[in-house]
Amino acid sequence: MQRREFIKGTLAIAAWALLNPEIHNNLLHAEEAEELSFADALELFTDGAAVADGSSMIKLNIPDAPPSGATVPVEVTVDYPMEKDKFIESIAVFSTKNKANKVITADLTPECGMAYLYVNAKLGQTQDVVVVVKTNEGKFFKASKSVKIALGGCG
Amino acid sequence: MAERRAAVKILENKYSVGDVIKVQAIIIHPMDTGFTKDKHSGQIKPRFYVRDLEVFYNDKRIAWLELGVSASQNPKVIVPVKVTGAGELKFKFTNSENEVTERTVSVKPQ
Repeated sequence: MQRREFIKGTLAIAAWALLNPEIHNNLLHAEEAEELSFADALELFTDGAAVADGSSMIKLNIPDAPPSGATVPVEVTVDYPMEKDKFIESIAVFSTKNKANKVITADLTPECGMAYLYVNAKLGQTQDVVVVVKTNEGKFFKASKSVKIALGGCG
Repeated sequence: MAERRAAVKILENKYSVGDVIKVQAIIIHPMDTGFTKDKHSGQIKPRFYVRDLEVFYNDKRIAWLELGVSASQNPKVIVPVKVTGAGELKFKFTNSENEVTERTVSVKPQ
């Protein structure tokens, strides 16, 4: 193949891929997974609503210094009724300094009986774990705890 | 794709109607973030993780958990369930490639 033809061909393909958003996105995703900052993760969950301090009602059971960041047990108990028209609708757990900061969002119903969640998180470095809960009335409360990691869980 | 290993267990031994029981679910599954490299090949491991866990109590969905890649490998969760009678709890895991793994456990109040 002639050098000139080759360059023309590749340029055409590149231009077409750039113009076609679907392929463009796929290319991007293939190269790099999406990072999710803590602020963005929180925004996705709360949709910009104000988050009040709920450290008195949200009880966190997280070790201060787990042996490894690969599995950090996070236990959340929310002191809140779980009745038909007054209940915790979701519990979300976020890390703050990982590359993608969403650990879990759990949508619960009154059929669960209590607002409780246990999940194993993965923390890359010493950071805060933030738990945000949403009541069925759309109010948000948060609590956080600093966790010291000696050995990281992800790169 | 081979069948994934997963297990669901009720953590209480004895319970009756009206009690709140804790149910533990675990699935043996990678939680690849898409940021790390494979140790052997040096290639970036694509994002591959458990995305959803839905909990059904007698076919009614009572909880829906959406996991992110910051959950640990082989994720373990515990969810509360209020016992309303004998029946079945179904845990449905869906991973990022829409592969579904289901496990059930029977609820037998005493």
